[in-house]
Amino acid sequence: MATTSKNMNVFYRQKKNSSASTGKKSTKSPSPKHAATFGSDITQPPALVSHDDFDEQEQVLRQFDMNMAYGPCVGITRLDRWERAQRMGLNPPKEIESLLRGGKVKLESLFDGRV
Amino acid sequence: MEVDSQEQLQRKQSTYLSLDENFEIQKEVYRGQQYSQIYFARLHMMRTLLYSLVPNWKSHLPVCTVLELKEGKECIIFGTLYKHMKLKPCILDEYSKERSVAPLIKPHNFMHQDDYLVLEDESGRVKLGGTKLSPSVYVTGVVVALHGKETSAGAFFVEDVLEAGLPPQIKRPLKSREDKYVVFVSGLSIGRSSSNPLQFQLLVDHITGHLGDEEEQGLAAEIVHLVIVGNSVEISRGLLNGQNLASKDQSRLCEPFKELDILLTQIAASLPLDIMPGSSDPANFALPQQPLNRCLFPGSTTYNTFRSCTNPHCFELDSIRFLGTSGQNIDDLTKYSEAKDKLDFLERTLRWRHLAPTAPNTLGCYPFTDRDPFLIDSCPDVYFVGNQEKYETCLLKGLEGQLVRLICIPRFCETGVAVVLNMRNLECHALTFGTQISS
Repeated sequence: MATTSKNMNVFYRQKKNSSASTGKKSTKSPSPKHAATFGSDITQPPALVSHDDFDEQEQVLRQFDMNMAYGPCVGITRLDRWERAQRMGLNPPKEIESLLRGGKVKLESLFDGRV
Repeated sequence: MEVDSQEQLQRKQSTYLSLDENFEIQKEVYRGQQYSQIYFARLHMMRTLLYSLVPNWKSHLPVCTVLELKEGKECIIFGTLYKHMKLKPCILDEYSKERSVAPLIKPHNFMHQDDYLVLEDESGRVKLGGTKLSPSVYVTGVVVALHGKETSAGAFFVEDVLEAGLPPQIKRPLKSREDKYVVFVSGLSIGRSSSNPLQFQLLVDHITGHLGDEEEQGLAAEIVHLVIVGNSVEISRGLLNGQNLASKDQSRLCEPFKELDILLTQIAASLPLDIMPGSSDPANFALPQQPLNRCLFPGSTTYNTFRSCTNPHCFELDSIRFLGTSGQNIDDLTKYSEAKDKLDFLERTLRWRHLAPTAPNTLGCYPFTDRDPFLIDSCPDVYFVGNQEKYETCLLKGLEGQLVRLICIPRFCETGVAVVLNMRNLECHALTFGTQISS
């Protein structure tokens, strides 16, 4: 795409002349809306933030959610899904049950609130 | 005229056991689940069952999932059938830019020669080819095992099909039985302008023994149970248009129920009766329909012989198992597949071991999460469906010695026909009531 900057203005209609100058200003003093949000959750709704540095427990539970042998995970709590798998004779791992009944883990599947 | 004969005729009795627990949804909690859960439960139960039947069918072939299919490798796959139907009404048709002259929804049957079947399991889906599996017979929601191989086009060429077949039947104890009759009636449609109250009153009088001489009354005394199979009332459409009702319209709304209650009280005073909801009754739309509220029947509920039941309804009388619906399942099959008669559809649902395979695809259904209540575990002795066009019956024999009486109960409002079943030998006959005075 060998277009010069002059041609780009033809393609993209500029709404205000002042926007170019304010754009330059914003890179120097970033307002919260335009800031890069690495590691900061304030701008995004909680469900959409992807926390890659999750604890192991949640990772294990996510693997349980994703395992299709136990059926779909959407619309059912993790414990209900575990109990259903148990009743159907699918032998889900006991650790998942103890995790869900014991500690402070999310009881809803990973898609909860996002689908 | 003798007022007091030598002995009073006693009505025969039978032990009743309700098996409707599976169809009740009071304990269910809706948490936003979708229908994938009930499909998973269905697939899991049926797959476990089919897996146990495969060694007797074709033990030498490997079993694999849809994703594991390799071209040319002969194997067995399990899954739920999905029928892609060109003419099936789709909500998106309302938004299509081209409006054709043909109406968007045809009332009768949505079949088309271009319909094809797809098999789906948790891992994926595959289009089915070959002539063994006829799209006109199968519907979406049936779980089967297929033997075949993947073709170069990516479809699965079906060489053989394994359906679950008739479920095992609990053998009835063979004690010497006397004649005991069960009467089925459906589609009373009280409240419809064309319904004739005299016809149903005749039926009530006959069953309660108020008609005929001693011999007739003796026959009536052998009727032990009455089942009303759906569509007992019909509320006129004009009253249900969403507008607020004037007080005179409100009484018009209640009239069919009052009339029905009067008749049911006469019956309940005389023998046990079960009433099932149907598509036109004030019950929930989705299957399994819950029992009609007892408030609708202030007179009849005072009797302990009156039972309001779910649809589908399963019960045992003298250890003979009855299972039946008010017709929505068979009517849906009629729309999406074809057979030579309604008894054929009944037989298919038994062979697929599922009362309503098209639920929840085209038939309203509650989104169960942990079970599919329409799976048939034990073969009934009597399998009935209500609100059909005409009375039909046949005796179905299974490979393992199962014996099922299949009954299609016609709409009483239109035909005046009720069905009587003899519990001793499972023989059936029609009871017709006419009110025409022949000239």
